[in-house]
Amino acid sequence: MTRPGLWRLTAVFTWIGLASLGGGRSAYFHDALVARRGWLRDEEFLQDLALSQVMPGPNFSNLAVGLGYRLRGYPGAACALVALVLPGTAIFLALALFLRHGLTADATHALLGMGAAVVGLIFVMTGRILRVGLRGRTALVLAAGTFLAVGPLRLPTYAAIAAMVVLGCWLNRPRASEALTPRDAP
Amino acid sequence: MDLLRLAWTFLWLSFLCIGGGLGIVPEIERQAVSAHQWVTSREFVDAYTVAQLTPGPNMKIAAFIGYVAQGPMGALAATLVMFVPAAALTALVSQHWAGLRGRPWAITAERTLSAIGMGLMAGGVYTLARSAIHDVRTAAIAVVAAVALATLRVPPVVVVLAAGVAGWVLG
Repeated sequence: MTRPGLWRLTAVFTWIGLASLGGGRSAYFHDALVARRGWLRDEEFLQDLALSQVMPGPNFSNLAVGLGYRLRGYPGAACALVALVLPGTAIFLALALFLRHGLTADATHALLGMGAAVVGLIFVMTGRILRVGLRGRTALVLAAGTFLAVGPLRLPTYAAIAAMVVLGCWLNRPRASEALTPRDAP
Repeated sequence: MDLLRLAWTFLWLSFLCIGGGLGIVPEIERQAVSAHQWVTSREFVDAYTVAQLTPGPNMKIAAFIGYVAQGPMGALAATLVMFVPAAALTALVSQHWAGLRGRPWAITAERTLSAIGMGLMAGGVYTLARSAIHDVRTAAIAVVAAVALATLRVPPVVVVLAAGVAGWVLG
């Protein structure tokens, strides 16, 4: 398993950050680091993907940090974060501020159309994730409760998360039958 | 003081972020539009749209809200607190993750948080839909975009740009 230098890591992560448009962004990492370059094994990638989903904070940058740490320790994590966030944010900020100041009537209509299309797209993408990710009645109850609270009911997100974490940890509590996996058995 | 409030708000917003940036869209909207009036509802939806069209994590909208509220320092502060503290925590936990992952309580946490994260994402779709869809035209564009992605497998960026042309022609 070859591991890249810091320079190479930064260059590749910058490229991933710039190339990752639209949904399914973590797939770009898998393609670039596992499939294309062989820097990481599938198992390592999946471990970091799970970590990025459990940790608070933006998933995509957390995944970059986990992978960067694995490849090059703390310097790798720092380079990965900057490489992923900075170029895209600079481009986005310039464009967003330009559109905000230079909005003609035509641009407003175009942006209205694009905003509506984004809703259609994220509806489909989110639907796909929910279809594969929501397994079992417990997951369905937790997701539906969270959705109702933060969506139609407009309750604060921290309140919804707090209530659902308590409910979820109780519903998903370790059972005696599951605790004795072969690895834990004496 | 205002800069501190901005930074504090985006710091706790970043720690609510479970299962993707889309999940905290409802709360960002509550804070940035309703509670503090840093941006208008339209500016928020437009910024999210532009964020979809540009590379990098979606939570870069923190930079835009920070800029509109407090200028360049606001953009810098909001971006730093959105990404850096959560990243530092992730790097720390990353060291021990391999050993923790198989524990029963880690599985409990993973199952619970992933289900909540999905509910939050659905809430994000709902919030954006409420702001972006307000007449027959925008509703029609959203439906056509959804069908184009789901059945015809048109790349997302192409769909969004085509919708921009449609909005311009119909408007």
